[in-house]
Amino acid sequence: MAILKGNLQSFADCLDATANVTLIYHLAAGAGEKSFPDAFMNSVVTTRNLLEATLVSGCLKRFVNVSSFAVYTNQRKLHWRQLDEESPMESHPEQRGDAYCFAKVKQDAMVLEYSRQRGVPYVIVRPGYVIGPGKTKISGRVGIDSFGVFLHLGGQNRIPFVYVDNCADAVVLAGMMPGVNGEVFNIVDDDLPTSRQFLRLYKKKVRRFHSFYIPHIISYFLCYLWESYSRWSEGQLPPVFNRKEWHSAWKKTSYSNEKIKMRLGWRPRVPMEEALDRYFKGCCQRRESA
Amino acid sequence: MLKVGIVGCGKIADAHVSQIQRIKSCKICGVCDQEPLMAGQLFERAVVERCFDDVREMLRQAKPDVIHITTPPQSHFEIGKICLESGCHIYVEKPFTVNEDDARALISMATERGLKITVGHDEQFCHAARRMRELVRTGYLGDRAVHMESYYCYELDSSGYTGALLGDKNHWVRALPGRWLHNIISHGIARIAEFMKDDFPSVTAHGYVSPLLRSMGEKEIVDELRVIISEGQCTSAYFTFSSQMRPAIRQFRIYGSANGMILDQDQETLIMLRGEKYKSYLEKFVPPVLIAKQYIHNLCLNVRSFGANDFHMKSGMKYLTESFYKSIKDEAAVPIPYREIILTAKIMDDIFQQLNTPRSDGRVSPTQFAESKMRV
Repeated sequence: MAILKGNLQSFADCLDATANVTLIYHLAAGAGEKSFPDAFMNSVVTTRNLLEATLVSGCLKRFVNVSSFAVYTNQRKLHWRQLDEESPMESHPEQRGDAYCFAKVKQDAMVLEYSRQRGVPYVIVRPGYVIGPGKTKISGRVGIDSFGVFLHLGGQNRIPFVYVDNCADAVVLAGMMPGVNGEVFNIVDDDLPTSRQFLRLYKKKVRRFHSFYIPHIISYFLCYLWESYSRWSEGQLPPVFNRKEWHSAWKKTSYSNEKIKMRLGWRPRVPMEEALDRYFKGCCQRRESA
Repeated sequence: MLKVGIVGCGKIADAHVSQIQRIKSCKICGVCDQEPLMAGQLFERAVVERCFDDVREMLRQAKPDVIHITTPPQSHFEIGKICLESGCHIYVEKPFTVNEDDARALISMATERGLKITVGHDEQFCHAARRMRELVRTGYLGDRAVHMESYYCYELDSSGYTGALLGDKNHWVRALPGRWLHNIISHGIARIAEFMKDDFPSVTAHGYVSPLLRSMGEKEIVDELRVIISEGQCTSAYFTFSSQMRPAIRQFRIYGSANGMILDQDQETLIMLRGEKYKSYLEKFVPPVLIAKQYIHNLCLNVRSFGANDFHMKSGMKYLTESFYKSIKDEAAVPIPYREIILTAKIMDDIFQQLNTPRSDGRVSPTQFAESKMRV
């Protein structure tokens, strides 16, 4: 195995990395924190460089683009409460107030454009919220602690966790399985816990803290108020809470992994109970070493 | 109505767009970035007329009156020159240029053409800073500034900008003469330059790579800096930049011959320090009450500004931009005097020259020091 160290913002590095390569797993992404340009630069510009480089190389058989659940609008879904691969993507990601969402939507669009216009063969995989040792943050789908107290917003919602090993298996399969070019696969584990179950376990196994539950109707209204104030005040408060974000993160939703199981033969190798256990142990270790 | 163009569509350009759009008498006629995707993303998110990937093309087609240059500093001079040659006023993000010579050349060019320039020292135009300037103007400090202390701290973390800088040995910030410091300290230095009377103050700098960065394998990025600036026998200043001290303050203290002031950038507070002392025990009881009263007054001002929808995180940028546009329209004085821009560049040049030069007294430069630590 050869390891190349480079920067995807450099086309020359991309050329080096893609020379004579037939299968590319593109996992690099820029979260960009709160900066749209940073996230865009590190997700979209880098993806364009990589795709252009593959055209020079000319021997690509498949480009596996690792996307995210963040690209879904979670509104006007075909199967009402169920989010699957047919669910519509965010049509105005710039209005979500989420740099990561904006960048990932544009990254997917870039891959589709190169497929349509330049014939790049692709598979898109969209993992849910990846957990595993090394990650300590509680998913925003469960709640937020921006205001000094943990606001529990998920309630009875299922949280679309995927354990890192299971996710890696799925990504590998997406590159290897023949006959799936042009397909999109959501990656989410079985037996998903509800937000409330997860929070209870987290408090029991990692650390105790106070949380305050906000019912969905209230959180929706608060998002509406925040969005309105942000618009009226010309961004005095940034539009990070808004109705689009509410639909994406806190609306009651179920998740399907039927397609990836059926087409790729994927099964979560690590069951949810064990996955959560490993995640909590990782959180405890990080807390002890901090 | 002023037509405004933006060159460089990175992170800081977002702040420029949002603050320019709060000013009524102007419109953004174009955004430009040599990477068309970056220009396109800003065009899509902001309400602007057009986007370009060539600055000359934007100048030719959109015909802006003012250009905001928000590219990396190495390109400020060249882009500024192109804009001035086409008759545009320019707002250049900090640091103004990579050295004093370029700063002087750009300002001369603008002056010869009857055009105006400003630099993005927007923190000097936040609410508290404007209150401070007004007090100085009314003579609160006395006849002169005796001493100043400017603290500009920055919390290092492994994400975002810092992570990118530390992880990328070819990051553009590393190519600046003062590397990371060059891209950050001008806000804190400019505060001192504003109140310096001498054009050639003496500068003594001491900097080093912090133990934290050394433990991460970094040996180039100086992240601890202490500077003494003095002019003749009149005014002196300390400048402190630190990534390690806590709290990571951004504060400016100025002491005159009569009174003093403390400006806190993060808390947006301005505390006036009375020059005369109270007698005996009164000094221990009265000033704390008066200072508490001032903090409450500052709180009220901040709440009032927020309620009046005038307390944006980058509100200083709006005031600076507005003042700059006004100076163009009314042919009035620019908000930041050119002397101050040049003096800031000069002080920074002196600092970086000292940090990058092996010391004559046999002590090692910060970079050499870090390298020796790495070998150990």
